[in-house]
Amino acid sequence: MEFEVDEKELKAAGAELLPDGRRGLRLHGWEIESLKRPILNSRQLQEWEQKLQSSHFPEMVFGDSSLVLKHMNNGTKIHFNAFDALTGWKQEALPPVEVPAAAIWKYKSESFQQVILDYDYTFTTPYCGSETEEINAELGREATSEKGNSSLCWEECKEEIDLASLALKEPILFYDEVILYEDELGDNGISLLTVKVRVMPSSWFVLLRFWLRVDGVLMRLRDTRMHCVFGKSTNPVILRESCWREATIQALAAKGYPSDSAAYNDPSIISQRLPIIMRKTHKLKLPGTP
Amino acid sequence: MSDLDRQIEQLKRCEPLKESEVKALCLKAMEILVEESNVQRVDAPVTICGDIHGQFYDMKELFRVGGDCPKTNYLFLGDFVDRGFYSVETFLLLLALKVRYPDRITLIRGNHESRQITQVYGFYDECLRKYGSVNVWRYCTDIFDYLSLSALIENKIFCVHGGLSPLINTLDQIRTIDRKQEVPHDGAMCDLMWSDPEEIVDGWGLSPRGAGFLFGGTVVTTFNHANNIDYICRAHQLVMEGYKWMFNSQIVTVWSAPNYCYRCGNVASILELDENLNKQFRVFEAAPQESRGAPAKKAPPDYFL
Repeated sequence: MEFEVDEKELKAAGAELLPDGRRGLRLHGWEIESLKRPILNSRQLQEWEQKLQSSHFPEMVFGDSSLVLKHMNNGTKIHFNAFDALTGWKQEALPPVEVPAAAIWKYKSESFQQVILDYDYTFTTPYCGSETEEINAELGREATSEKGNSSLCWEECKEEIDLASLALKEPILFYDEVILYEDELGDNGISLLTVKVRVMPSSWFVLLRFWLRVDGVLMRLRDTRMHCVFGKSTNPVILRESCWREATIQALAAKGYPSDSAAYNDPSIISQRLPIIMRKTHKLKLPGTP
Repeated sequence: MSDLDRQIEQLKRCEPLKESEVKALCLKAMEILVEESNVQRVDAPVTICGDIHGQFYDMKELFRVGGDCPKTNYLFLGDFVDRGFYSVETFLLLLALKVRYPDRITLIRGNHESRQITQVYGFYDECLRKYGSVNVWRYCTDIFDYLSLSALIENKIFCVHGGLSPLINTLDQIRTIDRKQEVPHDGAMCDLMWSDPEEIVDGWGLSPRGAGFLFGGTVVTTFNHANNIDYICRAHQLVMEGYKWMFNSQIVTVWSAPNYCYRCGNVASILELDENLNKQFRVFEAAPQESRGAPAKKAPPDYFL
């Protein structure tokens, strides 16, 4: 389903839509664009196997899809993509989660010679977005700065995202949701990484969500929210809040919540039931115009 | 025009049958399916189709590309239901064609043709939504228990939804399974519907989930040799290109749900075999939006937090 925006509201906010059928807009020095492409084909996946040194991937990798928020004056680019997220998965390398049937399988399949695979098939990632600087913004060249060389630095902070202001029904000038990867866990649940964006006259807001449900076993939600209020300053500040929640189905059942998977299709409805296991807030001050 | 022919015409327009009609259709289908073997014999020419997953309008596209039943003979490898919007209409149309032309269409069971899986992945909810009760879901899932487990084309091509099992060396061992039950959590019947070929193992592998077999090239070579078959044809896994050969053309995956879940952008395929078993893959895309009936709605703004 496509989101349709009111022309008058765009004009009043000083925003312009991106040309040539691109999805997104320009507003207050930001260019915000979503790209939605098909899943990677076999040839591309082979390239990713090489680059990531992994022979396992989610069955649906939207490797050419992304959300990009670029500050046009200083060349800072906040972006969200599957490759960086899977790099994070590979580094975190959690141990596999056993499904309920594993108990009987262990006992019954002892007699077969078999190789037991032990990668994290849930594709759980600590990813909370990527940031790069285009060194020569004027030429528009994609000169990404080397790690360590970048002046972009997220600092821990006490400020929190102003959810009350975000709850106001300000007009939405641009909205989109981009799936980065998805896996059905061989019909044992779902692993889904998506990013949503909405742009209002006063700010932009992003929610990156990793959602995992292993049927009969556990649920895991790793949310990263980013908020940037448009102001007069040429050095915008982005607030970033990461919140990880997790619970076993057993623990939920003990609290009286249902234990069947069908009750857990929508993470936004059940997120409050999942206890927080990690929460931190950072801010990023964008460098001034050179 | 007979009632059945009228029902087929109605289902082809994506209009579901009445509950009483579903009940009667399932009873007739049961009489036919109960006679089928666990390794159902199929003659060439025949066109093999993989997962459909309730994508009704894409299945219509499949019939447009492959030809109508009964002009073309069909073998469907299971996973008719769940995930898509029209599992009811999709399964009932296939079942009505089965009752009308029993020798022209063969349906075998996929892992989604199960009470447990359909309660999580959509078919149960869809029945409840479209009929206001779960009776139709009950009739259909009872029929699932009668679906055959595999097919053998001209004694040369073995067809199954998922793959092989370490408990099965010969086709005769499949023939002895008592299939009329819910898909079990383990054992040969479960493996046939759930297992996957895997390049990085040679023999047998166990999924990191702790349940579910993976099988390598040597397993396939041994099985094909022991049963004197040319290759295995299976479905069960999404392939962006619609089909995928593995292990030196000893096994092929056929996938027939284009733009899977209405968002993957993949193509689908069917495998046409002529009377001499010459192969031709027909690759096709999702049905165009305008042929899907209701137009896409404009989404209201989403004030997510």
